[in-house]
Amino acid sequence: MGLKKAFLKLATIGLGIGLMTSAALAANLRVLAWDGYADPDWVKDFTAATGIGVDVVFIGSDDEIWAKIKGSEGQDFDVFAVNTAQLQRYIKADLVSPIDITKLPNQKEVLSRFRDLSQVSGDTKDGKVYGIPFCFDSIGLIYDTDKVKPAPTSMSVLWDPAYKGKVLAYDNGEHNFSFTALTLGYKDPFNLNAEQMAAVKAKLVELKRNVLSFYTTADEAQQIYQNNDVALIWANYGQQQVKALQKIGAHVAYVNPSEGALAWLDNWVISKGVRDNAAAEKWIDFMLTKKVSGELSERTGFGNTVVESSSAGSNDKLVWLNNVEDPLKRSDMWNEIKATP
Amino acid sequence: MSAVVTTQLAERRSSLLVTVLAFAAPVIFVLVPLAIFLVYSFFSVDQGTIVYAPTLGNYVRFFTDPIFLPVFWNTIVLCVSVAVICILLAYPAAYFLTTLRGRWRYALLMLLLVPLLMSYVIKIYAIRSILGLNGFLNKALVAIGILQQPSTLFVFNMNAILLTLSLLLIPFAILPIFLSLERIPQTLLRASDDLGASGLQTFLRITLPLSLPGVASAASFVFVLAIGDFLTPQMVGGTSGFTFGRILYSQFGTAYNWPFGAALSVALAIVVICAILIGERFGRSRGTSV
Repeated sequence: MGLKKAFLKLATIGLGIGLMTSAALAANLRVLAWDGYADPDWVKDFTAATGIGVDVVFIGSDDEIWAKIKGSEGQDFDVFAVNTAQLQRYIKADLVSPIDITKLPNQKEVLSRFRDLSQVSGDTKDGKVYGIPFCFDSIGLIYDTDKVKPAPTSMSVLWDPAYKGKVLAYDNGEHNFSFTALTLGYKDPFNLNAEQMAAVKAKLVELKRNVLSFYTTADEAQQIYQNNDVALIWANYGQQQVKALQKIGAHVAYVNPSEGALAWLDNWVISKGVRDNAAAEKWIDFMLTKKVSGELSERTGFGNTVVESSSAGSNDKLVWLNNVEDPLKRSDMWNEIKATP
Repeated sequence: MSAVVTTQLAERRSSLLVTVLAFAAPVIFVLVPLAIFLVYSFFSVDQGTIVYAPTLGNYVRFFTDPIFLPVFWNTIVLCVSVAVICILLAYPAAYFLTTLRGRWRYALLMLLLVPLLMSYVIKIYAIRSILGLNGFLNKALVAIGILQQPSTLFVFNMNAILLTLSLLLIPFAILPIFLSLERIPQTLLRASDDLGASGLQTFLRITLPLSLPGVASAASFVFVLAIGDFLTPQMVGGTSGFTFGRILYSQFGTAYNWPFGAALSVALAIVVICAILIGERFGRSRGTSV
């Protein structure tokens, strides 16, 4: 009996806390972002400056953002971060609101290449702005400076038989098709015709035979690197991954391939179900301040749109990720490649 | 008088409520989700959204596309091998446990089950470092001179999946085998001895047949757990260890093709249910004949 009572009490307390937090959430700005985009000290500064409370939810994959936003038809969050390739899908599904850039004074101060948003592929539709870019990085190549000589300049080194069994690749069909298309010299890696698809597939089967394993998270790649003889890593996590590897004493360097490096550009967007549009605009404007943007680059190694940073400089040829012709087809073909003996 | 009636009524009502709850829980938490799954397997996907019109397309694709059936079959073979390895290793261990007396027996049994308390992911990470090129296994084999240089035979291929799954699942094989061995009446063994049977004869004609139900349930346990696993193949399978679980997983994550994933799961569920039924049936018929 005593146990039952205690249990009931516990449940009541739990319920009480649950209700209290949801009541608190009601007035706050609801932000959905990747780790590193809404650090606690910035949130604190933002609340101090504007009086607006913020609740941040972190996500770990593009699929998760889609599931969360689509699942609630945009009602569960006010502002979220998404890359330009993904953004068009949200616009099409009517899950995001257009943004009035006159309400964002800091957008006028950003680096010149991000100032005119109609020139940034994927941010606008029918003359309306839907995304404010704030953070980017390339998907380059990490190489072990002791094992790979001379320093590579192209992704084609991944196919070099000299490094057989020493290559770590990323487990994602979409990106793998895109970068292989670039390596093969195709102009538009995101829109491949049937013939190009077949060529890329054959090339990826070859790649598979040179690869030790396909990883998914940066931590995983790091652990495999430590326990095996790895010379080359296709770096989905870019600078962040390099930093982590160097921290554990690995002799590695990073290069953006000369044929063009895939690159992602993350944007702040306002959801369809935004409760307080002005608060959401203030958040975005705050994220575009020199201080926050500069700190973001310092902490993550990513580039930002406000102050010049070392990541993916203007000399590097960046190919911004874009919607691919048929994600399902690429994912199916990737399974076929993996199933090929 | 009326007070007695009301308490009786109240009692009956509460017992009815308990019955309803007892049935509702499995229905709501097991049967309904399974039914939803089954229904989803008849939908399709177009441009990243699910089309809610019934179609057999997913099943047709499963049977006609050249990649699914071979991978499915290889995975079944892999998991049967895992079950066999687990039983070959677990049987002697369980047998040894039953020869121990008193508290040692259970202390040792608990020790063998301790790995179940650890996180699955951590165990996979640990095993992967052991199997790696600079890992413990390679270093040990080179040190004692069996290998000239570290080998990549143990990691990022089918061998690695086989080794890792067997290691992870052995506790699930030890327990049922131990329980069935422990239930064998000592009097039978003594009678066999009295009638002049040798130790080997007693084992082959009494202990082994009577423990087979335990072996059967151990095998079905291990097989079912192995075939449902996608994480182990994903993490140690590398480029050649491609299993059905990995295909299934990709349908829910990157491909965003839930209906097809549901159809693949149904195929998997059928195999799993068969394995459980076989294990159950084999186990029971032997068990009741004692």
